[in-house]
Amino acid sequence: MSEVSPPRIVARRGGDPPLARSKPLVTQDVEALWDPCERLWQIAIAPSRWRLTSQSCQTLDGLRLGSLWGEDTGRSMLRVHAVWLPSGPGSGLHLVTELPTDSPRLSTLLPDVPAALYFEREISEMFGIEFVSSPDPRPLLLHMSHDFPPLRKRTAPSRPSGERKTYEFPPVEGEGVYEVPVGPVHAGIIEPGHFRFQVVGEEILSLEVRLGYTHKGTEKLFEGRTPVSSVPLAESVSGDTPIAGAFAYSTAVESALDLQVDAATQAARGLLLEIERVAFLLGDIAGIALDVGYAAGAARANALRQIAYDALEAATGARTGRGVLTIGGLLRPLDRALGPILTPRMGTIGKGTTSLLEHLLTQPSVFDRIHGTGTVPLNVARALQLVGPVARASGLDRDVRSDMPYGPYVGRVVHVPHEQSADVEARLRVKAAEVIEGCRLVLEFLADGATEAPAAPPLVSGGLDERHGLGLVESPRGEYLTWVSIAPDGRLARVHVREPSFLNWPAIEYAVKGNIVPDFPLCNKSLNLSYSGFDR
Amino acid sequence: MSGNPGKDASPVAQVPEEMGILGKVLTMSYPLGRSTVRSSSARTPIHNPLLCTGSGECGKVCPTNAIQVEGSGAGAHFELDYGKCIFCRRCVDVCPSGALTATTDFELSTLSRKDLVVAHVSGRPVAARDPELAKSVKLKVHHLFAGSLAIREIDAGSCGGCELEVGALTWPEYDLERLGIHFVASPRHADALLVTGGVTVNMRLALEKTYRATAGPKFVIAVGACGISGGPFRGSPEVGGGVDSTLPVEVYIPGCPPRPEALLYGLWMALGKVEQRLWNGELPPVAKRSD
Ligand code: SF4
Ligand code: SF4
Repeated sequence: MSEVSPPRIVARRGGDPPLARSKPLVTQDVEALWDPCERLWQIAIAPSRWRLTSQSCQTLDGLRLGSLWGEDTGRSMLRVHAVWLPSGPGSGLHLVTELPTDSPRLSTLLPDVPAALYFEREISEMFGIEFVSSPDPRPLLLHMSHDFPPLRKRTAPSRPSGERKTYEFPPVEGEGVYEVPVGPVHAGIIEPGHFRFQVVGEEILSLEVRLGYTHKGTEKLFEGRTPVSSVPLAESVSGDTPIAGAFAYSTAVESALDLQVDAATQAARGLLLEIERVAFLLGDIAGIALDVGYAAGAARANALRQIAYDALEAATGARTGRGVLTIGGLLRPLDRALGPILTPRMGTIGKGTTSLLEHLLTQPSVFDRIHGTGTVPLNVARALQLVGPVARASGLDRDVRSDMPYGPYVGRVVHVPHEQSADVEARLRVKAAEVIEGCRLVLEFLADGATEAPAAPPLVSGGLDERHGLGLVESPRGEYLTWVSIAPDGRLARVHVREPSFLNWPAIEYAVKGNIVPDFPLCNKSLNLSYSGFDR
Repeated sequence: MSGNPGKDASPVAQVPEEMGILGKVLTMSYPLGRSTVRSSSARTPIHNPLLCTGSGECGKVCPTNAIQVEGSGAGAHFELDYGKCIFCRRCVDVCPSGALTATTDFELSTLSRKDLVVAHVSGRPVAARDPELAKSVKLKVHHLFAGSLAIREIDAGSCGGCELEVGALTWPEYDLERLGIHFVASPRHADALLVTGGVTVNMRLALEKTYRATAGPKFVIAVGACGISGGPFRGSPEVGGGVDSTLPVEVYIPGCPPRPEALLYGLWMALGKVEQRLWNGELPPVAKRSD
């Protein structure tokens, strides 16, 4: 215990994306087209083949479900999209199927693809599509009934009625079993959600999470707006990672409109994203320290975090980095004299994090609480198709920056840490290592001319055909996916945002099993999931 | 007090290399002393009616429709609502006449919703300040809670950005507790509810119940563009138009999110320790900002 072993780190260079274009096996018996905008293979299939083809993606090609979403084309036709992504370096594919607007039905991907559960529940309530023989057809984000499914296209938007939908938690029965309901208003300064624990004595038998409290109809709000005017909305999908949100959204629009972004601008975006990662993950470390009752450790992590937000403010004029990214580049250039500000700050954070981690791991009162707590075993992580630091702490070595490198990460070496023990300790180690690597990358982007990036030219859009594009960015929480469809008039027809928490939320239900109730906040903080990113 | 133009503030905070309690004090003196905000962090749009030509360019680019311009030339009617503004500077970037400039002012909290609105007609403010109102609220709140204030924070549908900055008040840099203000875990222990988010349809009931569970005397603080007006989500059928559409609100703290100093100012002002500076959308003239 007293020896702090270094985290396992693999250094990988992001490959040149076109080289990773080998055809997936599933395309042997269906027609596939390479889509340079999305950098994915496109496959259109009949609804009857939906389930079979999806299974092949998983079993034949070892792909994982990246996202699943619906679209109303406005031409009496609904579409269901699925993006399947590689588990390591490689290329993915995009399945599309079309359904009639009258009583649309599709076979469920459950139970073969457990990660599809939340997606199908969302598509079902937002588009009125029935997933045939789904084991769990309960609503997900909508607590009230609506006059029609909200993401369907009609002239007037769908409105919630005052009528609450029924929602049942599966009962757990037995001698001495009791239930602990928590939330939606929590005890800390955090977002709202409801947790239903089934407990025996002190031990948690099961937990069910119910979310949707912060549902703001964000995806619907995008529709009909221009891409440029919606950047602030993309920043506010999950407001604790606004840069990642704006980055993924801008990338999606740029790929749809075939806009090129110069190298200096890419470096500037990379620099901002890495500062955001450093600041965000230091918050997770502070939260872990606080939730084991070690206020001194939390204060120290928060002091480092303040330096990171101060650096972000020096770079962008805004503490959280809002209002800087836009379609095609940056709204305003970074401060040219950033070097002397960033270099000492990143140095302090790097050194400070190294010594803080060592300190935390050698305090018996801290170590005892985090070691073996909140385990998300590898098989669970793989089945749920988790992403980000949470997945990496469970032994899944996946990171968009090196698996499907984009923008600033093309050809760049990123040291991706991963751990095997899958507990709170592993997540703490991974996050600390990512902070240190983030500090290094910030300075690398600085050396690559991030401050030379000009302000983006104004975007003229419209008068094109129908376009769509995909943005995939490694946010501090993991893979952040945004898909946009742009109408010929240049306005947004559909925007789908899959924040990493959408995939990672189910992990908490497994992490707490067999733990004691007082360790729930600790497990929760070590996963640090976004409520708003899930609810939108 | 706010702003410190020209000076690049904030040297690297000296976080000691080793753990221990003998490190340097990291906590800022604000709101007891001066604040230092970099001049490059100027984000608050300030409108100079004498330069405004009523071009309306600002209103076209504003992502939250915080600006309305009607008419043109000398008789133009200009309105800017800090309760809707997300402080993105887009309007400042496009203003052709230099009537809009960005400043580092962050002390924008008010005790009334209408004080957040700048309204200019023909180069003049539309209404004069009404100091009587402030006095009455100040007396009420100041008298009851000035020594110690317990706050319960409620997210009524924020994006999480406001939580980040509200949470930052407990970091060593800001250390809210030195001012006798604490965040408490239950509404039962609270004197005030600090509410973020525009009140989603799904959170309304929980917000109302939490308010009812709070013992009186109590008051409500609405934080952020969302908490005041619905912010970037205004117009969505899933979001209400701010906290005051559900609960009576005593204090408004604008921002998206408000920086921690802005929150400190808003709370300090609520306790009657400092005066409200923004009246009918007007800040005191620069020359008088000597504090
Ligand atoms: S700074 Fe405020 S008023 Fe100006 S464009 Fe942005 S949101 Fe609108
Ligand atoms: S005001 Fe801005 S930061 Fe605060 S919740 Fe609303 S969108 Fe997020």
